[in-house]
Amino acid sequence: MIRSMSAMSALLALASLPCFAGAAAAGAGASPAGSYVHGDFGPPRGEPIHAMLTTPPMVPPATQRNYPAKVIVELEVIEKELPISEGVTYTFWTFGGTVPGKFIRVRQGDTVEFHLKNNPNSKMPHNIDLHGVTGPGGGAASSFTAPGHESQFTFKALNQGIYVYHCATAPVGMHVGNGMYGLILIEPPDGLAPVDHEYYVMQGDFYTTGKYREKGLQPFDMEKAIEEKPTYVLFNGAEGSLTGDKALTAKTNETVRIFIGNGGPNLVSSFHVIGEIFDRVQPEGGTKVQENVQTTLIPAGGAAIVEFHTEVPGSYVMVDHSIFRAFNKGALAILKVDGPEDKAIYSGKEVDSVYLGDRAGSNLAAVTEATKSASAGKLTKEEQIKAGQQLFTGTCSVCHQANGAGLPGVFPPLAKSSVLAAEPKRSIDIVLHGLSGKITVNGQEYNSVMPPMTQLNDDEVANILTFVLNSWDNPGGRIEADEVAKTRAQPAPKAAAGH
Amino acid sequence: MIRCLVLPAFLLVAGMANAADYVNVPGGQFASVLPADATRADVVVAPFMLRREPVTNAEFLAFVLEQPQWRRDRIARVFAEPSYLMHWQSADALGATVLPDQPVTQVSWFAAQAFCESERARLPAWNEWEFAAASDATRHDARSDPLWREQILSWYSQPSGKPLAAIGGAANFYGVRDLHGLVWEWVDDFNALLVASDSRDQNDPDRLKFCGAGALNLRDRENYAVLMRVAMLSSLKAADTTNSTGFRCARPAAPVPPVATQVRGDRQ
Amino acid sequence: MNIRQCANRILSALLLVLMCTTAPAGPRELPGDSIYQLDIPLVDQNGHAFDLAQRRGKPQLVSMFYTSCQYVCPLLVDTLRKTQKALPAAQRKKLDVLLISFDPGRDNPRRLKEVFAERKLDASHWTLSRTETPNVRKLAAVLDIEYKLLPGGDFNHSTSLILLDANGRIVARTSKIGETDPQFVAAISRTLSAD
Repeated sequence: MIRSMSAMSALLALASLPCFAGAAAAGAGASPAGSYVHGDFGPPRGEPIHAMLTTPPMVPPATQRNYPAKVIVELEVIEKELPISEGVTYTFWTFGGTVPGKFIRVRQGDTVEFHLKNNPNSKMPHNIDLHGVTGPGGGAASSFTAPGHESQFTFKALNQGIYVYHCATAPVGMHVGNGMYGLILIEPPDGLAPVDHEYYVMQGDFYTTGKYREKGLQPFDMEKAIEEKPTYVLFNGAEGSLTGDKALTAKTNETVRIFIGNGGPNLVSSFHVIGEIFDRVQPEGGTKVQENVQTTLIPAGGAAIVEFHTEVPGSYVMVDHSIFRAFNKGALAILKVDGPEDKAIYSGKEVDSVYLGDRAGSNLAAVTEATKSASAGKLTKEEQIKAGQQLFTGTCSVCHQANGAGLPGVFPPLAKSSVLAAEPKRSIDIVLHGLSGKITVNGQEYNSVMPPMTQLNDDEVANILTFVLNSWDNPGGRIEADEVAKTRAQPAPKAAAGH
Repeated sequence: MIRCLVLPAFLLVAGMANAADYVNVPGGQFASVLPADATRADVVVAPFMLRREPVTNAEFLAFVLEQPQWRRDRIARVFAEPSYLMHWQSADALGATVLPDQPVTQVSWFAAQAFCESERARLPAWNEWEFAAASDATRHDARSDPLWREQILSWYSQPSGKPLAAIGGAANFYGVRDLHGLVWEWVDDFNALLVASDSRDQNDPDRLKFCGAGALNLRDRENYAVLMRVAMLSSLKAADTTNSTGFRCARPAAPVPPVATQVRGDRQ
Repeated sequence: MNIRQCANRILSALLLVLMCTTAPAGPRELPGDSIYQLDIPLVDQNGHAFDLAQRRGKPQLVSMFYTSCQYVCPLLVDTLRKTQKALPAAQRKKLDVLLISFDPGRDNPRRLKEVFAERKLDASHWTLSRTETPNVRKLAAVLDIEYKLLPGGDFNHSTSLILLDANGRIVARTSKIGETDPQFVAAISRTLSAD
């Protein structure tokens, strides 16, 4: 009688814990007699291992172990101001100094001793919730850490898979929205099949009070976050983080595996690589494999593993296929594949300028220069022209062509344009407010619609137009950002009745 | 004979110079971010006096010189962790980089309490601090003003590595300065703020600290800036110190009789 | 020097020796992390006043409670009793229990005595006590116990059983109530046998 009562109260006590399995596993494999806790391969063996954590987009090498070990993970929270876009900075709260945070790689059955440090210069307390942890709060309860302090907790990695970790300090949405997430890979006991490249990419949505690409240090906007109206949707925490000279690389005839996560805080991702098909996908990071997938969904707070084999060289653009996020909010990354062409598989030319636009070349270095000079008040016409040229490609060149020739009968030329010669400043109004109706350029009549280029800010419009005015025999001169601002403030004039 | 007069006069002046400035805060009914109980009723804050400024390095230095058991080389470990006053040049000198008029930081809750007791005061209760801090220059409750919130949030988003500004910021409605934008401040009941609403709920005492607390209702949505301050205080233990946590003191509302000047030797 | 002076000298020397030997036996410095660094006055259920630091000398269990607490605090007392019983009989005799009230307003010595009798506590080992409000906060801070006064006069509080060694260092704690925590019991046993 007494025995059954104490067993009953023991059971009640255990059942009241958030996870029975976690409680059982916590005692290094010692489980109630006769029961087996799935994923518990017994106590750790060998010397404790200090986990090698990597900075995105790199991934640590495979553990290549066939036994469970004790792995010590040390991760520090650092609050720092980093660029989020050209000329735009943001105070990110980071795990290990980057967004996303460092990549952690262990093996199923490992005992992980987790040390979370909060840099003394942090303003806020932080903690961590790892989705791969079986236990209260995923570790959040045990890791609430004040600035300048350290917390420690230990868990056994019972389930294989690719898991998100994130800060869970109130208000959680804000901590996540400031970049506090990353991935932890818990390898299956036999490891993952070897591939030529493994990469770490994580999508996130960001909310700033300023508009997209509005320059300066931008604060977090809680209202927009609650309304789920992001300003930026980005891979790896910044526009251009994986483009130009920072693009991911591979050669033809290689296998690429991407651990693709989604920190949120709000949006689900429709992950797609333009020009590639995923040979294998582990949707949601689970164990089942799907094959031949074009676009895979990654939930907020989730991750997936995609693998594909490269055949043809080129720039493969990774996007969130909710496509306005890719082209108007920055959810765009590039995998550059080098190697010999294979015309039998793909013979067309690269349409760089259409898809990649300003991301095709090296990262808008001239734009950065111009922004720096402009903020110092020392912007020169030459800098404007160089910056304008980079911005022209992909924005204006799509219709007006890279050489300004336009498309006869459809899009007017910008080269040696009679319109620009007559009234150069009219171009500001056209770019800002658009133009529809009849217009005669260089003796030919056009009757088309040019949409207003609302995604461009004053600096960008000024630089682009300065470039145009100084190219292809146009009259020259320069356009300043404050002229653009003045024109922006005025309402759009009615369509001119030709020239 | 002159010496007999000079010494007391000097001590009188020194005593006056050390007398911190306290202002009256009227108190009243108040919609706290932390409701008193499950009914979410307002709390009632009794009138009290609050120190106009946070305690400065100079003031704290004078305190540890008078009460050497609070020096960083003599303090008991149970009252402060090793980082206590670590930014000072030595246990009894600030050094060139630590300015006398900066608010003192790297102080534990115990040390802050002891200082307040030396001024015949105490740490303010959370509700008192929150009440005083809800005001801006012209209104006693500015919390629904997005601009008020923005200023606070912009301070939160700045990491704390830069040298601290000196005290002396703009006064709020009650004449109190620097409640926002300078340092986090200890309160008397710092560790009582997020205790679970049901003491039987022993399984999940941390529920309010984490994900659940992020699910704010409409009133709290506007007050999340204040809630983040609560989270910060909840992350600390009484012996902890950080480089952005300081304090100020509070007194009961009744005016205190003037201090009799104390001659060195009266104090233990 | 005459006899009187010599005698005086010897007497002084003897007195000195006596004083040195009757002074607290070369007290080991109180460890910096001992809770007895907190010097607060308490009153027990018999109205007897004592300083916290006077408890130094024996390992003991400490916790905080209040008499009007309907559910958890009775459970706490039960758990303490069960924990005592879980020890070998020889060790049980060496363990004292000190409980301090969150609620000095209502928990005066008379009230403490009532509860003491109600719960049939063992006077040779148990002490229920109270101290003034500012000291309650300090004690809770040093014991890392959280509590909050509610409008109705009740308290919300965390519950911990804390093991102090003879010098007042916290060597183990548990928040398991309702049944004994085997690791905590093992820690008590170790501490008691170390003495």
